[in-house]
Amino acid sequence: MTVYDLAVIGGGQGGLPAAALAARLGATVALIEMHEVGGT
Amino acid sequence: MHLIRERAAEFGVRGVDPAALWLDLPAVVARKDRIVQGIIDGIYGWVNPSPNVTLIRGRAEFTSPVDLRVDGRTITARQSIIATGARTADIEIPGLVETGYLTNYEALQLQRVPSSLIVIGAGYVGVEFAQMFGRFGTKVTLLSRSSRIMKHEEPELSERLAGMLIAEGIDVRVGAEGIQAERAGTGKRVMAAIGGQVQAFQAEEILFAGGRVPRVDGLRLEEAGVKIDPEGVHVSDQLRTTAPNIWSLGDVNGGAMFTHRATYDGPLAALNAVKGAGRTVDYRAVPRAVFTEPALASVGLTERQALAAGHEVKTGVSYFADSGRAKAIGQTEGLIKLVADAVTGELLGGHILSAHADLLIHQVVTAMHGRGTAESIYRAIHIHPTLSEMVKEAAKKLR
Repeated sequence: MTVYDLAVIGGGQGGLPAAALAARLGATVALIEMHEVGGT
Repeated sequence: MHLIRERAAEFGVRGVDPAALWLDLPAVVARKDRIVQGIIDGIYGWVNPSPNVTLIRGRAEFTSPVDLRVDGRTITARQSIIATGARTADIEIPGLVETGYLTNYEALQLQRVPSSLIVIGAGYVGVEFAQMFGRFGTKVTLLSRSSRIMKHEEPELSERLAGMLIAEGIDVRVGAEGIQAERAGTGKRVMAAIGGQVQAFQAEEILFAGGRVPRVDGLRLEEAGVKIDPEGVHVSDQLRTTAPNIWSLGDVNGGAMFTHRATYDGPLAALNAVKGAGRTVDYRAVPRAVFTEPALASVGLTERQALAAGHEVKTGVSYFADSGRAKAIGQTEGLIKLVADAVTGELLGGHILSAHADLLIHQVVTAMHGRGTAESIYRAIHIHPTLSEMVKEAAKKLR
């Protein structure tokens, strides 16, 4: 089982910048998206 | 196309045969799809390729505050951020599901311009799509359940916009109650009580623009101890939910459901979740725009909202009929209304109906962000001849 520092649920235009910044700050991030990354 | 068809002669452009103009909708949709894909590819580049980000495709549900199941796979996360956005509101109009309808998603994929369209809902989506299809040549009926379109906006502006839509040939009906739908031959029929009288509207298609609601379905937030309010996920001003290690951002929290709000929330939630930064959101100046022509853009409070919030209020109004630039581009119908606290002078709101209102509003946004007064806008030198001068003019009237 993988343990992440952060799970971001939703890869839209809120989730993506959150995941990007967290990753840049050194956190391991699971970005979970059920449709297309990028949002609607 | 609208400008060419309606106003070419006024601008001295000869040789245009309005009757010969037609819209190649598949080409329009294909162009839109290319642009959208380019934007999506661009923002996906924010996380890809980052060695720290693992993309997991699937539907997530919480099984505890730190455990998630994603399509059967289990992952553990010390912190989580909910960023699931919003979806079209449930349909509560009798007969509409059986009759069939479009949402904004399907309406943007149409390959043929419908001959007639009933738009239910006169908020951002309803008003924009009503004008767009009207200009494509569709006979449009816009049904508003409220007593006016764009009900949250400054009445002087939303009523003027309604008048412009009517002048373009859109059948705008406000105060529609008891809306129902049914099939009518090959078309569709919508019934509504307007002014106490039931009226029937017939069209080829129906567009449901009745609002969006937070997308929390299936997340099993209760397993994680995350409380949901009627308007969305309950968060503190640091975007922390009722579960200490879970954060939430954007549309799913309710309030101002705009991409730019979610994009503002994103880094702040990440900093708080990963670094414990304790940053707080500042939503005093979240601008908004309805991308009609002219556009209606606003920020902060309307005059009535400012009064209700206990302010002594003063307003400053300017009209684009007084602008040389507006005359030159042939768009003189709009106005600007600024709202300020009469005691402190602090700007509380700005409301603009004009060409490029979505650009002009940012002067007001910037001033409000710094808790500024109209003074900084009024004293600053503005380029002549621009529409922006009218923001300065409204600020001058506010003094």
